[in-house]
Amino acid sequence: MAMQLRNRLRLVLLAGVMATLFIVDTVTNYEVAAAVFYTIIILTAAPLLTRRTLILLATLCMALTALSFVLTHKGNLPTGLANMSVSIIAIVMTTWLILKMDAARQDAQDAQAKLMRVARIKGLEGLTTSIAHEINQPLAAIVTSGNACSHWLAHDPPNLDRARQALERIVHDAGRASTIVARIRSLSRGEAPHKTVFTFNDAVQEIIGVSRGEMERHGITLELELPPDQPPVHADRVQIQQVIGNLLLNAIEAIISSTNPVRTIHMASDVRGNVLRLSIRDSGVGIPAGIRNHLFETFWTTKEDGMGIGLSISRTLVEANGGQISAEPVEPWGALFCFTVPVAQQDQHQ
Amino acid sequence: MTDDCVVYVIDDDSSVRAALEDLLASVGIRVLAFDTTTAFLTHGMEDVPGCLVLDVRMPGQSGIDFHRSMAGLGINLPVIFITGHGDIPMGVDAIKHGAIEFLTKPFNDQTLLDAIQNGISMDQERRRTKAEGLALHTLWSSLSAGEQDVARLVVRGLLNKQIAAELNVSEITVKIRRAQVMRKMDAQTLPDLVRLTEKLALSS
Repeated sequence: MAMQLRNRLRLVLLAGVMATLFIVDTVTNYEVAAAVFYTIIILTAAPLLTRRTLILLATLCMALTALSFVLTHKGNLPTGLANMSVSIIAIVMTTWLILKMDAARQDAQDAQAKLMRVARIKGLEGLTTSIAHEINQPLAAIVTSGNACSHWLAHDPPNLDRARQALERIVHDAGRASTIVARIRSLSRGEAPHKTVFTFNDAVQEIIGVSRGEMERHGITLELELPPDQPPVHADRVQIQQVIGNLLLNAIEAIISSTNPVRTIHMASDVRGNVLRLSIRDSGVGIPAGIRNHLFETFWTTKEDGMGIGLSISRTLVEANGGQISAEPVEPWGALFCFTVPVAQQDQHQ
Repeated sequence: MTDDCVVYVIDDDSSVRAALEDLLASVGIRVLAFDTTTAFLTHGMEDVPGCLVLDVRMPGQSGIDFHRSMAGLGINLPVIFITGHGDIPMGVDAIKHGAIEFLTKPFNDQTLLDAIQNGISMDQERRRTKAEGLALHTLWSSLSAGEQDVARLVVRGLLNKQIAAELNVSEITVKIRRAQVMRKMDAQTLPDLVRLTEKLALSS
């Protein structure tokens, strides 16, 4: 809300500058090319506007330049004509360059996002394959030795010596399997959180920044309730951002796969005692009854191409940072995901 | 069938190797286990019926690659694949290339033992056919050229008179050669001879 207000204020201010420019351009001689400064307006306003409004603004600037030319009657007419042309060309060029740059930036962002996702999925695929292989070796040995053992015991008379040897191998291989499991667990636990004190809403805004393109593409409206003046939090900024990104991506995907004409994501942060809570509510497909209890389990997914790790990783990260994560369906549609982060204590401020 | 046959196991994992050796030993099957395909090739094969239990994923040459190269190396052993992480396309591919079974670790021992019995029977059958073919060839080459000509026409159902006309010899000669063929090929009746020559055609 605060952000939108600030943007609106900036636009009003720019309109004022624009009016002043128009007056200066009109009252001064033809020789004074004040209209060139419209490019500054366009450059300043560009980040706040969509493509279409930017083009509209440029057209308006050109129209004003032409109007000034018509209204001005002082000075050398050919110079005035030349100055007007130069101004208009400058406006067109500036606008065109901005649009080009924007498109390039968008492309770069898309490519990066895609790459990150692919790298993540590919990495995990490779990981699960090798985990399965690693674990299955001792398991196969254990099962086979177990079978051999019962064969030895079934002999008449039972071959106790060989049976005992088989049992010893089983114990050894079980130990090996549990070593592998321990190694995987330490792997998935990842690095210990690197906690710092930071402004929570800034971290949220950064993630929104990278996801905005995705939301716009799918016609999703984002409602934000991120009040300023919240106390800073103490957590691993990158890990918390991973969680926000994960939840936001889930919300976007839930909306994409829903037929609901309402396409909104509502994000709000509020302070609750000594924690700060972020809630993300979407108007998507929601949480089917009966799967709520499985939501945060590893390898549990309802998505066709899902791995079932996003939410489980999110929970691990939130808990590693001293917070909690929860999910619930919302009436009449959609889902609500919340997680908390501890507010920084006085002695943690540096 | 278990007394004179051998199962070759190639798996890089020593636990799996030890367990398989023990399992097969416990049901009285002789095992030779190797950690790489190279070690197996260096050791060589015994001249007894057998089959090969092959791990898919191994450092160095993979089981799948080795399976493909076996025909070129003149190894005709039936192959049973075992794998720690098998997917369906891989299994289908292996079966298409002639593997008799594709088992995912950890596997059921009975399934493996059945596959091994099956593999050994197949190898016994293959060896028997091969030996029979060889023996039959020896018998066939003991026939003189004239006798072979008569034999070919006899099994086509021609009468002695017709054979004599065809080969441009007397009917008496045909009768003598025919008797020789039956004796040398150890055939009691005409259908016997037909069956033997059919086998010859198959194995030649």
